[in-house]
Amino acid sequence: MSARSPAVWMRVALVLATASELSLSSEEAKAQTPTYWVYVASESADEVSVIAFTPVSGIQVEKVIPVGFWPLETEGPHGLAIPDDGNHWFVTLGHGVPVFGTLLKFRTGADTLVGRVELGMFPATVAVSQAQLAFVVNANFHGDRVPSAVSVVDVPTMVELARVRTCVMPHGSRFSPDQSKHYSVCMIDDQLVELDAYALVVVRRLDLTARSDRTMQGPPTRNADHPCTPTWVTPSPDGRRLYVPCNRGDVVLEIDVDRWVVVRRFTSPTAPYNAEVTPDGRRLVVTQKGSAEVSIVDLLSGKRVAAIPSSRRVTHGVSIEPDGRYAFISVEGVRGEAGAVDVIDLEQLRKVASVDVGKQAGGIAFWKKTYR
Amino acid sequence: MKSLVARVVVLAPLAVPPVLHGQQGVPARIEVEPAALVLNVGDTVTLAAVVYDTADEAIPEAQVFFFSRGRHLAVDRDGKVHALRGGQHTVFVFARTPSGAARGEVPITVPFPPVARVQITPTSNQFFVGGSQRHEAIVTDLSGTVRRDITIVWSSSDPAVATVDEFGVVTGLRSGVATIRAEADGVLAQHIYRVVPSPVRQVALTASTSSATTGDLIHFTARALDDQGREVPEAPILLSVVSMPEDSVVAQFPAAEVDQRGRFVAYKAGLHTVIAMSAGQVAHHSILVTPRHVSSKIDVVGQGAVRDVRTSDLWVWEGVDGRDYAVTGTWNAAGAAYFWDVSDPSNPVMVDSVVVDARTVNDVKVSEDGRVCVITREGASNRRNGIVLLDCANPRDVTVLSTFDDGLTGGVHNVFVYQNHVYAVNNGRRFDVINIADPRNPRRVGMFELDTPGHAIHDVWVVDGIAYTSNWSDGVVLVDVGNGIAGGSPSNPVRVAQYRDVGGATHAALPFRSSSGKFYVIMGDEAGRDADGPMGREGEQGGTPDAMSGYLHFVDFSDPLHPEEVARYEVPEAGSHNIWVTGDTLYAAFYNGGVRVVDISGELKGNLTYQGREIARFKAYDPTGFVPNAPMSWGPQPFKGHLFIAEHYSGLWAVKVRETEILTP
Repeated sequence: MSARSPAVWMRVALVLATASELSLSSEEAKAQTPTYWVYVASESADEVSVIAFTPVSGIQVEKVIPVGFWPLETEGPHGLAIPDDGNHWFVTLGHGVPVFGTLLKFRTGADTLVGRVELGMFPATVAVSQAQLAFVVNANFHGDRVPSAVSVVDVPTMVELARVRTCVMPHGSRFSPDQSKHYSVCMIDDQLVELDAYALVVVRRLDLTARSDRTMQGPPTRNADHPCTPTWVTPSPDGRRLYVPCNRGDVVLEIDVDRWVVVRRFTSPTAPYNAEVTPDGRRLVVTQKGSAEVSIVDLLSGKRVAAIPSSRRVTHGVSIEPDGRYAFISVEGVRGEAGAVDVIDLEQLRKVASVDVGKQAGGIAFWKKTYR
Repeated sequence: MKSLVARVVVLAPLAVPPVLHGQQGVPARIEVEPAALVLNVGDTVTLAAVVYDTADEAIPEAQVFFFSRGRHLAVDRDGKVHALRGGQHTVFVFARTPSGAARGEVPITVPFPPVARVQITPTSNQFFVGGSQRHEAIVTDLSGTVRRDITIVWSSSDPAVATVDEFGVVTGLRSGVATIRAEADGVLAQHIYRVVPSPVRQVALTASTSSATTGDLIHFTARALDDQGREVPEAPILLSVVSMPEDSVVAQFPAAEVDQRGRFVAYKAGLHTVIAMSAGQVAHHSILVTPRHVSSKIDVVGQGAVRDVRTSDLWVWEGVDGRDYAVTGTWNAAGAAYFWDVSDPSNPVMVDSVVVDARTVNDVKVSEDGRVCVITREGASNRRNGIVLLDCANPRDVTVLSTFDDGLTGGVHNVFVYQNHVYAVNNGRRFDVINIADPRNPRRVGMFELDTPGHAIHDVWVVDGIAYTSNWSDGVVLVDVGNGIAGGSPSNPVRVAQYRDVGGATHAALPFRSSSGKFYVIMGDEAGRDADGPMGREGEQGGTPDAMSGYLHFVDFSDPLHPEEVARYEVPEAGSHNIWVTGDTLYAAFYNGGVRVVDISGELKGNLTYQGREIARFKAYDPTGFVPNAPMSWGPQPFKGHLFIAEHYSGLWAVKVRETEILTP
């Protein structure tokens, strides 16, 4: 088993703290039935739902929190993150009125808005570091295909400190386990970008389509056909590997961080979108927009060991709880369909629960585990 | 000058693995020297930071990073701070060790620069005994910033000759010399006046008409004359009005207004007296204003109910078969557009529908020949939105001709169809011009985008080869797309004129030429509510209705290079949305305020809402609507004697405005 990241430790601490509040020892707590709490954003409903999943009794929507400010406008909550201390949740609104999007900060549980900052065009994925910096990719999904940036926000004050220009249509936002590096990808430029998460500068770029994988020199170049169209990047728990779904290429790339090269490619039909590695580092969970299913990849063998159909079309995000038993999957749906959150049992490799949420469920984040 | 305050910033340790608590190397706090600063503009100072662990031991290997916000204070990676502008600033400090992170702030105060200059306006040298005129003092600091936060103290060197009050109003009392002074933070400006006897012996005041109704604009002309009857142009004239309204009640708003250019309008019927004053001379001119008497009623004719989803825009047209049809869109639903036979307005019949990959079909338009319909897409599952061209020559069998999403993936919110071209609002940033001469093969031929910071566009409407675009804070921008006034064409749109919106809410722009000869553009706001927090569940099926705010601005574009905002129309409890003008009649959807039919004849001035110009209002109450019994008017379109209305919560309505009947007692 690989070393736990600080993030995982904090989640464990949160669980223990919660158990303590209930006057349970950790052993007693483990004997109880846990309830897993997840937040999920619904992009076409301007709302965030709080989901509670209890393996015995099922799944339900505990609460729906409106996050739109503008009547008669869909502002598009897209990315969602809960930092390690679990005290706040952050959600991006793709656009406001007139055009620029925002990052919102809410207190968890009470779900009250406590901070807000306007960012660039369609801020999408967000991640928050232990240094209390939120890294938000301004995806600019729909604008002219010009280089965009990663916004860095000081979350205690919700002040944007920097915009680090990266590439055209950045997406995905994850830290290395030691949180010294930040990773994002460029959907149009077919690049992986590594930032120094404190100096806030681009450290390395990787051309994800080069025949010989190599570190890029100089400014980004444009891949006219963007055959990879990477949509996500997530690290292994030990930080030695990165996994990048190529949404157009129907493949997930495994990248050796030290050597900065692609070392394996996992076929992932079709249209892989988000991914996350289980805490033990053994499996990769990949959402597949095109085939509306979730792939489970055994990272030792490199084989897909399961393809689990989603409850609707357009499978979007994944968040795995710290124990690694359950993966929570957001599913968008199309047109007038509701969105959904599916729960996958990673031991049984099957969907064990599903619940409807607002339209176009996307950003999803695990909050806590409680016993009740 | 620097003020170094020795203060320790104590910071809580940030997230770290719990097993490492209390161990060496885990950053707990950053101590910054100096911990707070007062710098003058131009000063520099270098911050020094030491990172301590939970055992209060320094961590020399810790890396420290400094950041600032905005452009008023600069800090480099070594902690060197440079004060650029006045204000309260913060330097953010972050520390990194292999075991964790810490964060801190250093407050930095930069006093605003001292006042450099005070300038008094106006600046003629002569002032008349008996005359009064307000003066302004413009205060500029050393950085060149015009300061409005500094109190100005006015004084006169000889109050027996001329006085000045705390607002800068100077009054000449007797002949002599007086120096008017304005002092701001110790910096003085002065202006020497020679006060002379006034040559003004009388004021002549005339009106452009002898009778009027409420809302009519009357031009008053005031001239200061000497004893020979010659005009004294340098003599300032002050105009005011007193009124005796017919229905005076307590706490009325002013019954009339007159501006200093002599433009008068009455809100209330009654006797109004305009007063002109110049250098001690006064003239009066009274005018009797009668009620406008335009109010009427609206009768409901028919409804094409849509109750399961929310309706967006509409378009009504005469089909190629000679029957009348309408198309309506749907909002945040399942991507449908509905086609209606409205030949019998009392019985709109849905004759076909089209469903596309979208959640919102916000706008619908039809080509002039009635053969091609254009609908917009937002919320497509593949994020490729754009527009869809439909063959609607037979609205009972509508088919998709083509889709066009190249470069339009962000969602097309609004379109206009004009002479074989679609003007499509692209991602709220610009409009693209798409040639649809061959509707199966649309092609982009041009585009237009402003270059202002943060620019955005909401809608476009084309009349006589001019695109009237609504651009939020950039207001209305007129673009030549074939008129020729600026050499523009669909493939080469050329900006003609602009009127900015200080409120930043321009959502619609519609031109019309008034029977008065004036050329106006109505600039419609779309404003939400107070946005301190997210909204609730308003507008959901079976729930409570939404509410909006914002009003209509009337901008006189008769001189395109010098547009002037002259009037407004508002519904205080609601916000404006789509509008239409036929002749001198305005049809305005005001969301929760319903549809208002307004007489906009004549020159316009002031607040039209209170001038008795409202002809009729209609609020759609559908007890089984998407939100029951809640008007939410999206857009009106007058057509062949009826008014068709897209209602957000209840679908398509046909109503008829009765002829105005003036009741004479």
